Parts: sequence; structure tokens; C-alpha cells
Amino acid sequence: MKKCKLENLIDDYLFDRLDETQKEKFEGHYFNCPQCFEKMEQTDEMIAVIKTNGREIFRDVYAPQKTRRSRLESVLAFLTPRQWTMAAVSAALILVVAIGVIPNFKTTSPEFFINDDLVRGSSIALISPVIDNLDHVPSEFRWQSVGNKTEYKLSIYHQEELLWTTTTKDNFVTLSENIKSLMAPSKKYSWQVKAFSPEGTLIAVSSRVQFCFVTSK
Amino acid sequence: MEKRNKNLDLDVIVAKYRPVVSFRVKKSIGVKTPDWEDVVNEIMINVVEKLKKDEFRGDSSIGTFIYTITSRRIIDFIRKKSKVLKHAPEPNPYISPQEHVENRERAQWIAGSIEKLKPKYKEVLYLYYYQELSREEVAKKLNISSRRVSERVNYAQKLLRKVMKE
Repeated sequence: MKKCKLENLIDDYLFDRLDETQKEKFEGHYFNCPQCFEKMEQTDEMIAVIKTNGREIFRDVYAPQKTRRSRLESVLAFLTPRQWTMAAVSAALILVVAIGVIPNFKTTSPEFFINDDLVRGSSIALISPVIDNLDHVPSEFRWQSVGNKTEYKLSIYHQEELLWTTTTKDNFVTLSENIKSLMAPSKKYSWQVKAFSPEGTLIAVSSRVQFCFVTSK
Repeated sequence: MEKRNKNLDLDVIVAKYRPVVSFRVKKSIGVKTPDWEDVVNEIMINVVEKLKKDEFRGDSSIGTFIYTITSRRIIDFIRKKSKVLKHAPEPNPYISPQEHVENRERAQWIAGSIEKLKPKYKEVLYLYYYQELSREEVAKKLNISSRRVSERVNYAQKLLRKVMKE
């Protein structure tokens, strides 16, 4: 059956969305169009059923909001309240253990004191110069090797002030004449070596050993 | 267009237009108004009388002729009704028990048919008829085109009309 051109107005007419002119025109039309009138009657009956029974008919259409809530409910229902309490207490205990106990197992480098300073790390044995009152300015400073791929830092002090420092991967340093000229006879100096891992971590420290020399050669 | 004809079959006209007049009257004065049937009866009697008196000249269709009589009668009724005490309680229209049962069964049958529709058709019916959203609003809500909304509404109506005719 050919569709009537005013058929599209049925829904708007039934929901009172037409203005007065359109409404009168459509009312006059369905008195003359059995096709439109029949469709309108059926639509009107359908709307009446939907309006009266809509909550029941469409419960699964507007229920998604309820489904969203029930997902939370279904998660909570996984355990009983008592079980949730036990799980929370257990989690708290594990957290306390993890924060409080585990740090104690962390390995720390040994502590020792040099000149009242707290130093971590193992000790480096200095080989020379370790004797006071040398007869000449020392040209080489040597110490015992510590580990592999270690980098050493040699520091020479005049009293408490740093006079000169250098780094090397060897276990000795030979002073150049320029560096030797920094030192004067009869004055007290000290030297110290620190060992670092390839990653730059301090792994050993020597004591600070004093020396002086009587003449400069 | 039906021309003025002395041999108009009045029974056919009454049978054909009574439902149309009823629909118009119920929509105008409300189906819960107990007087609606009386108004329809008055209109149909008026139509028959005018046809018998040859007052239908054939200038318009018979449908338009009856529509005009209906509209005037409805306006008269509403005017008279507004003069009556507004807060007077209205008795409910009488519906026979059998009619009540038949109406309820039919409504349940239609509701059941709607429930059996596929979700995509139920969705549009829910938004378009239950929530009374426009086609554009439904389209926006479902993220489909207005045309698709119209297609689904029309198809759902077609399915339900088949059921309602049974």
C-alpha cells in the first residue's frame, strides 16, 4: 500500500507536538484517510500499553544503570565481610613487614673510624711513603690494590687543607716535578687513598698517613 | 471525493466514521471523561440527520463534513463543561467487566509482543515512545542516524501492527 504523505505526522499528533494549524489539518486528513486513521489508532493503542506497562516491558533496557551497580556488588560479594576484613588485616601486616623489616636486611658496608670521622668501606693499606722525616720529597705514592676495575683517588694534604688530588686506576701515582714543587721541606703533609667501584661507589678508604721531608731533591 | 448522493448508505457511513469520531472526541475531551460516548452518539445522530436533510452539498468530502460537525460539537461540549463546577468530582466512565478483561488481555498481549522484540527495536521504542524523545534525540543517544531511528521505529510498529491485527 502506498504510504500517505501525512503519515509522518501521526506520532507528533499523538504527542501533541503539532501547532494548531498542523493539528487541524491532520485531524481533517484522518477523517478522509482510512490508512492514516488505522495506523494512528494502532499507534495510539501501542503508546497506551507502553505508557502503562513501560517499567515492566523495558526493565532490561533501562536496567544497565542497575547492572553498573551490580558489578560492584558482584565484586564485593566475592568474599564475605569477614573475609574482606581478614584480607585487609593481612595486607596491612605484609605492608608493615615490608616497610619495617626488609630495610634491615640491606647489606651495608662496614663502618670504621679514621681520625674521628665515620667512614664506610674496607681499608686500603698504604705502602709508601709511610715513614715520617723522609730525606727527600716522595716521588711515588703506592698502596695495596683493592678489587678489580677499581679507580683510586689520591689526596695530599698540607695540615688539613687539600694540597693536591688525582685519580688513577693503578695502585700508585708518580708525582711530576710541578707537583713536587708544591711541597716544602720540614712541613707536615698527609696523604690518603680512596677506592671507588666502576659505578662510582666508595668501596675502601685508607687512613691518612703523615709524612714530611727534611731536604728537597 | 464523495459527491452529494441521496443514496448514501447511512449504515456504512456510521460504521466507517464512528471509530474516527470516537478517536477525535476521546483525544479532545479525554478518555476518562464519562461523557465521551454521549458526545460521540450526539455527533453521529447529528451527522445522520444532516445527511437525511440533504445538508451535505458535496462541496467537500463526507469525511471533512463529519469532521466539521465533530469539531463544533467538541468545542460546544468544552464550553459547557467549563461552566460547571471545576472541582466537582467526575464519575469514572463505566466499563463492563468483560470489556475490562478483554482490554487487559489485549494490553498484556501487546506488551508481551514488545518484550519479544530484539533489543535494538525495544531500545528505540523505549526512548521514542516511553521517554517521548524526538528522533534526533534518540539518534544522538544511541549514536546512530535519525534515518536509522525512523527505520527501526517503523519496523517495530510494522511488527506490532501484525500482532495487533490478529
